[in-house]
Amino acid sequence: MSERHFAVSAVGADRPGIVAGVTGALVDLGCNLEDTSMTVLRGRFAMVLIVAGPERLEAASVESTLRPVAGELGLAVWVHDVDELEPSAVEGESWAVSVHGADHPGIVHEVAAVLAEAGVNIVDLSTRVLSGEHPVYVMILEVILPPGSDPPALEERLALLSTRIGVACSMHLSGADIL
Amino acid sequence: MAVRPVVRLPDPVLSHPAGPVGPIDDAARRLATDLVDTMRASPACVGLAAPQIGVSLRAFVVDVTGHSKARSCHGTVVLIDPELVSYEGAELAREGCMSVPDLTGDVPRPTRVVVRGRAPDGSEVVVEADAFEARALLHELDHLDGRLFLDRVPGPAAVFQRRVYR
Repeated sequence: MSERHFAVSAVGADRPGIVAGVTGALVDLGCNLEDTSMTVLRGRFAMVLIVAGPERLEAASVESTLRPVAGELGLAVWVHDVDELEPSAVEGESWAVSVHGADHPGIVHEVAAVLAEAGVNIVDLSTRVLSGEHPVYVMILEVILPPGSDPPALEERLALLSTRIGVACSMHLSGADIL
Repeated sequence: MAVRPVVRLPDPVLSHPAGPVGPIDDAARRLATDLVDTMRASPACVGLAAPQIGVSLRAFVVDVTGHSKARSCHGTVVLIDPELVSYEGAELAREGCMSVPDLTGDVPRPTRVVVRGRAPDGSEVVVEADAFEARALLHELDHLDGRLFLDRVPGPAAVFQRRVYR
C-alpha cells in the first residue's frame, strides 16, 4: 500500500491527555507515527510529528479531523504535506557545540549565523536559562560538518564570536573520546 | 582555614585556563586548605578546583570516599600543578557540578587515569585511579583548562535539568 507523509505540529497550554487525544485522532485516520518530538517549554506543550497515512488522505482533511480534538485540548494545530522524506542520516561529521554565558538577546542567532556561514547544518538544539542573580544561558547543539569542512577554522570563528559576545563556546566531535 | 563561596556560571573564571601555582608558598597552602574546607562543606561534593572558588590557579581537591560508584579511592587528594600522564578506556556517565547548579550531563570519559602533581607539602604525587575517582580527577583537571562538563556532552539530549514537580 502506498502512503504519504504529513508533518503535524501542535502547541498549547500543557495538560494531561494531549498526546492521547491527538494520537487517537491520527490512529482513527489510519496514520502511523514515524518521528516525534515533544516537549514542554514554560508550561506550553509543543510537538512535531511526522506521520505516514493512506495515499487518499489529504493534509487539509487531517487538519480538519484534528481541529475539534485540538479545540477541546486548547491546542493550535497545523498539518503540512511532506513531499520528500529526507533521509534521517546526513552526510558529514557530527559535532557538538556547547555555549554558555550570561543571558542576553542574540546568542542563538549569532552562533547560528557563524554555523550557517560555514555551511554547517544544525540538527538538534536545546537551550536552557538557569535563573538566579545572573541568569545563565546554556545551549547545546548537534551540528553536521559537511565533507571538506575545516573544524579548526570553525572553532576559531566560534572563539572570536564568544569573545565578542561574552559567552563560552566550544565544539567537539560528538561521541568521540576527547581529552 | 575557610569555606569560600563557590562561583557559578556565568562567572568567566570558569571558562578561562588557570595559571600555574609554581613554588608552593603560604598562599598556595592556604588555597589547598580552603579547597578542602569548601569541598567538605557540601556533603555531596567529591571534588573542587581552584577556579570554582574564584582563583585562576592550577590546583584541585578530589575525595570520593564512601561514594557508591568509586572503586579506587585515595581519600583526600590535593594536587597542585597536576598533569594527566595517561588514560585508557571510555564510559558515558552522568555528572553534575557545583558551578553549574540545576543541570547534569552525560559525559564520555576514560575509565583509568594516571595523574601526577605536587601535594601541598611539595612532595611529588602520582595517583592511579579508575572508575568514579578517575572521572572526578578528569572533571577537576578540565576546570583547570576552563572546561566544564557542558563542553564535553555528546549533544543536546545529554544535558538534563533537575526538574521540580510540585
